[in-house]
Amino acid sequence: MSSYTIPVGPLHVALEEPMYFRVEAQGEMVVGLDITAGHVHRGIEALAMTRNFYQNITLTERLCSLCSNSHPSTYCMALENLASIRIPERAEYLRVIADEIKRVASNLFNCAILGHIIGFDSLFKHVMETREIMQDVKETIYGNRMDLAANCIGGVKYDLDEERSKYLWQQMERMKKHLDEIYALYCKNSFVRLRTEGVGVLSKEDALRFAVVGPVARGSGIDYDVRQKSPYAAYDRLDFEVQTENGGDVLCRAKVRLREAQQAVRLIQQCVTDMPAGPTCIDTPPEIPAGEAIAKSEAPRGELIYYLRTDGSDIPERLKWRVPSYMNWDALKSMLVGDKISDIALIVNSIDPCISCTER
Amino acid sequence: MFSFLKILVRNLIQGPSTDPFPFGETFTPEGLRGRVRFDASACVGCRMCEHVCAGGAIRFEQSESELRFTLWHNSCTFCGLCQHYCKTKAIVLTEDWHLSHRQEEKYAMVEQGTVPLAPCLGCGISMIPVADELMRVAYRETNQDIDRLRRLCPDCRRKLGIKGVQRCKM
Repeated sequence: MSSYTIPVGPLHVALEEPMYFRVEAQGEMVVGLDITAGHVHRGIEALAMTRNFYQNITLTERLCSLCSNSHPSTYCMALENLASIRIPERAEYLRVIADEIKRVASNLFNCAILGHIIGFDSLFKHVMETREIMQDVKETIYGNRMDLAANCIGGVKYDLDEERSKYLWQQMERMKKHLDEIYALYCKNSFVRLRTEGVGVLSKEDALRFAVVGPVARGSGIDYDVRQKSPYAAYDRLDFEVQTENGGDVLCRAKVRLREAQQAVRLIQQCVTDMPAGPTCIDTPPEIPAGEAIAKSEAPRGELIYYLRTDGSDIPERLKWRVPSYMNWDALKSMLVGDKISDIALIVNSIDPCISCTER
Repeated sequence: MFSFLKILVRNLIQGPSTDPFPFGETFTPEGLRGRVRFDASACVGCRMCEHVCAGGAIRFEQSESELRFTLWHNSCTFCGLCQHYCKTKAIVLTEDWHLSHRQEEKYAMVEQGTVPLAPCLGCGISMIPVADELMRVAYRETNQDIDRLRRLCPDCRRKLGIKGVQRCKM
């Protein structure tokens, strides 16, 4: 059989963001892959070094829409680590709530797109409609459907009064029912299983070799979650389990994401009940000394690391972040080879790539 | 397969999930971050809002007689940092999200305000008056002495302070 090369992307109907794949194919099979990135580079790292610490909270929130809360909260954590600021306990719980609300919405978005790619558009719409509950929650509690603007240096900018706590609790109860139903659908529905089971398999050895993180790693049986390994905010006081699957295929990654969404709902409810009263933010402007610091968190796509270096002024000397998609997209080479050309979009979507975060 | 048919029928009976906007009302929660309002009488001219604004949407211009505040809604990201750091709540985000406009109106999408400067009771130099709102934040209640101090410029206040100290020593 003769082999040929086909381009996939950078603009492709089934890819959510621009990325270019040069695919070597033999008949229907992918035999080789070359990835070219750089289509949505916007120079945000350089921009961050021209703006002060406060302005960068808003800037980092605009790196990406789906994990928009993970960026400013990790950035603020880096600043707080550097200045030895201990944020109020209530703020720690409020940060968890913001992060988990975004996780539910982000994971549901990815699982919905899975439905769209396999041609099951009524499933896509149903999952998106369920996600709409989370969008309304975000809009009601934070005032915006995507960018929560929850963080500030030394705490959070929002608070939950009794009425809002009650509203949040009720909406989470609503989500539970929907999420259980959706999870059962993905596990049992024959259309979903036919297209996703055994597709895009990433073995545990390869997962370790590519150092993948997040649901991609956990879908291949790697028990790694920053929230558990090096807890930040209030995660050390919350009760939850790391969700893993051993199959390493597209379906396993979707199942991990859905179970994490279910668990996020429980985490939010735990926070609402456990949260102590008190201030939500330090009340004096922070003093940031010269030095360097690192902070990491578990974004919906995996481990997110921020590196910050300061020189005593109020503008960072260097701000750099490593996003989960950076490791995950390299593993596509292992996932795609041996699979069909028609599954490329499905497998690419299964790592939930965030190109705009990675290329900034 | 069958389980999804059940969901389909249920969703069909429930009817559309979308709001009928613009022909009907849509969902606007309390606390939505929309159009910014500036209250000049509460502004103390600390310029923290200008400092934290990521989009560079806020600008202050000071002349001999006034301090002018301008905010461009087209540069604003509605992050609310200005509101968070404004101690006197002179700047607030309202729930008004009706911000669509024609291209020719783009420079008119601003929020402006003017803080008139007032003369210092001691030396007469013009200064930004201390807003009532700041007095409420700083002191629970004020008396005549504090009220006189607030009408003095920092230099005159310092001089008066030193005199007070000297009186105590005597």
